[in-house]
Amino acid sequence: MPTEVILPKVDMDMTHGTLAVWHVAPGAMVEKGAALFDIETDKAAMEVEAPASGFLHHVTAQSGDKIAVGSVVAWIYAAGEAVGDAPTTLLPETTEPAPDAAYALAEAQTPLQPAPLPNPRVKPRATPAARRAADAGGLDLAAIPGTGPLGRVQRDDVANQLNAPMPSPTHWTPEPGPLNVAHRAGTGVPFLMIHGFAADSLSWVPLERALGTNRPVIRIDLPGHGKSPKRRIDSFAALSRMLAEAFDGLNTDTVHLIGHSLGAALALSLADIRPRQIKALTLIAPAGLGPEIDAAALNGIARATRVESLAPWLRRLTATPQGISDDYARAAMTTRADPVQRACQAEMVQALFPDGTQSFDLRAALERLACPMQIIWGRQDHILPMRHALVAQTDCAIHLLDRAGHIPQIECPDRVARIIGHLSPM
Amino acid sequence: MDGNERILSYAEAIREAMALAMEADPAVILMGEDIGVYGGAFQVTLDLIDRFGPDRVMDTPISELGGAGVAVGAAMTGLKPIFEFQFSDFAALAMEQIVNQAAKMRYMLGGEASVPLVFRMPAGSGTGAAAQHSQSLEAWFGHVPGLKVVQPSTPADAKGLLLAALADPDPVLIFEHKLLYKMKAPVPEGHYLTPIGKAHIARAGTDLTIVAGAIMLHRALEAAEKLAADGMSVEVIDLRSIRPIDRDTILTSVRKTGKLLVVYEGVKSYGVGAEISAMVAESDAFDYLDAPILRLGGAEAPIPYNPDLERLAVPQANTIEAAARRLMAREV
Repeated sequence: MPTEVILPKVDMDMTHGTLAVWHVAPGAMVEKGAALFDIETDKAAMEVEAPASGFLHHVTAQSGDKIAVGSVVAWIYAAGEAVGDAPTTLLPETTEPAPDAAYALAEAQTPLQPAPLPNPRVKPRATPAARRAADAGGLDLAAIPGTGPLGRVQRDDVANQLNAPMPSPTHWTPEPGPLNVAHRAGTGVPFLMIHGFAADSLSWVPLERALGTNRPVIRIDLPGHGKSPKRRIDSFAALSRMLAEAFDGLNTDTVHLIGHSLGAALALSLADIRPRQIKALTLIAPAGLGPEIDAAALNGIARATRVESLAPWLRRLTATPQGISDDYARAAMTTRADPVQRACQAEMVQALFPDGTQSFDLRAALERLACPMQIIWGRQDHILPMRHALVAQTDCAIHLLDRAGHIPQIECPDRVARIIGHLSPM
Repeated sequence: MDGNERILSYAEAIREAMALAMEADPAVILMGEDIGVYGGAFQVTLDLIDRFGPDRVMDTPISELGGAGVAVGAAMTGLKPIFEFQFSDFAALAMEQIVNQAAKMRYMLGGEASVPLVFRMPAGSGTGAAAQHSQSLEAWFGHVPGLKVVQPSTPADAKGLLLAALADPDPVLIFEHKLLYKMKAPVPEGHYLTPIGKAHIARAGTDLTIVAGAIMLHRALEAAEKLAADGMSVEVIDLRSIRPIDRDTILTSVRKTGKLLVVYEGVKSYGVGAEISAMVAESDAFDYLDAPILRLGGAEAPIPYNPDLERLAVPQANTIEAAARRLMAREV
C-alpha cells in the first residue's frame, strides 16, 4: 500500500497552502525525511519532508497550486511496489475547493484541536506591579513564568527572575585567544581607545573622525564585546589583567590613552600599572570613582532580546531620549543578536556591579597618576553621576559638557575631540 | 494615655464635644427628636437640657424634613445647629434640605451664604433594628459636592471630628456607628480638632492595605492581628473621612503594599469601596498593584432582622481575614 503525501497544517488558522516547489520529480526516488516540497502560507514558508522512502507517483498538485490543508498531493510507493491507478481517497480533489467546503474540511479533519500556542503579540498576563518591575529590570515579561492565577506574573516572579543566578557555566564556554585589536597606521604617539560596557571598538569611529589626525589609532575590544573572545570575568581585577596583557602585546612605546565609562576605569587602572608608557590620559564618564551607577540600564541593555526592550535603555545613555533614533536602536540590536554574547555581558554586569553598585574603586589610582590627565563628563549623564569627577585628588582638567549624556564621544564627537586636542595637540 | 486623657465611651465623647462647644459659643444649639429630657434615641444628649436649657436643646416635631429645614435656616442666619437624626435612615425624609438646600447654598448665592450645620447620623447594623434602622448610607452623601461626610471610629475621633465639623463653615454629616456608642477608649480633655479629610494609619504594615471605617476598622484590626500571627504584615487605614477623601494616605499605602482590600458596611455595589478602588486604579499607584483590588461590603439586600442573617449581611472579622488571605495567597 503506497503512502499518501498530504499538505500539512503548519499554523493554527491555516486552511489552505500554496505548493511552492517540488524538490523531487515524479517517478524519482526519495528518502524518508528528505525535503519533498515547499509550501507557503499567509505567514510562512516551510519545507515538507517525505513521510516514507520510495518512489514519488500520482503527483496531482503543481507549483503554484493553492490547496486545502489535508489534501493528498502525491503518493510514495515502496521499491518493487506495483504502480497502478491512483488509489482512491476520501480526501478532496486537489484543485481549490470552494472556500466554505475548505473550512468544513479543515475542521472535520482536525476534530481535536490542540490548545492554541500563545500568540507572542498578546500582552502577557501580569500584574501592574510585575510589569513595572520587569520594565525597570529590563526583563521580557513573556519569558517570566507566572505563579499567580492562570499563570499571571506577579511582582515576586519578576524579582525572582532578576535575582536568579546568571546562566550556569554550561550555558556557554569561554573562548580562547587574545583580545581583538584594531590598528590604524599613522605617525606620532598613538591614541589607544578602550570602549565601555556593551559597546565595542567601532563606537570610537565618530570620535576618530572628529579628531582628524594622522596619528596611529589602536582600539581594543573588551572580552565578550565586539570581535574579542567571550571570557568569564569574575572581577574588575581579572578584566584589568586581561587588558594589561593585550596592552603588553602591542609592544608600543607610549600612548595617549582614552577610555569611556568602564573602559575609562580600565584605562585608569592600566595607567596605574604601566605609568611610563602613558603619555596622556583622557577619561570620558569614567566608572570606578563612586558607588552609584544605573545598573537597571546596564542589565536592560545586556538582557534585551529585541529592539523594543533595548531602545528604552539606550535612550538613557544620551542627554535626552531623542538622542537615540529608532534606526540607531535597530542597528544596535543587530550587533547584539548573539545570545551567548548577551549572557556573557549580563554575567559581567553581575560581577562588576553586584547589587547595582560599582564594586571597584579607582580613586587611589587617580591620586597616583603623574601623567597629564583630563576628565570629560556630560552634565546630563543618567548612567554615572558627573559629581564623581570631583573626587579627583590630583591636578587635572574636568570638562563638564552641557547637553551631553553618558556618551559624549558619540553625542558630540567634535567637542570631545577639541578637548582631547588641548591635552594632546595633533 | 497621658495626663490629659480619660477613658470615655464614644457617646460620652460626643456629648463632651457638644457641651464644650456650647459653653464656648452661644450660637451652638442642638436640635432633634427626643433629644431633650429623653436624652435622644441613643442617650447621647442625656442631661444636656439640664445644663443648657430647652432654648438651646430643642426637641423638634416628628418631621425630619421640617426639623432639618429649620436647622438649615438657623445656620444661614447665624446659629450653628447640631441636628440629630434618631437613625441616619430617616435622613431620607430630609433629603431635600440636606442635598438641595444645605449643600447648594454657598454655591447658588455666590459664596455670600454659609451653612455651618452639623448632622449627627446614627448608622449601621448589628442592633437587631432591621431594614429601616440599620443602613449605612454614607456613600449617598459622599456623592454630593457641598457636603462633608465623616465617620469616626474611636471616641477620641468622635469628639475631635464633631469639634472640627462645628469649626467648618459648611454642612458636615457625622456618621456615628450605633455599635460604637458604648466603646470606651482614652479621650483627650479640652478642645481639639481631628482634621476632616485626613485618614489615619491605625496599624502599619507592608504586605496588604486594608481601608476601613467606623466599626469595620475594629474588625479589620482584629483580622490584621490574626494575619500577623501567620507572618502577614497588614496596614490598616482608618478612613475617617469619606468626603473629602484622603487620597494621599491611601495611594501612598498602596504603592508600598501593592495590594488593597476595601472594607465597608454599606451595600457593596456603588459604594465607598467603588470610589476608593477607582481612585487607585486611576492613579499612578495602579502601577504598584500586585493583585486585583478587592472590595468587601454589605450584602445586596436590606439588613435582615434575623440576628444570624444580620451578621452575615455585613463584613465581620473572619470574612475580612478570609478575604485578606485570598489576596495574599494569590487566589484572586
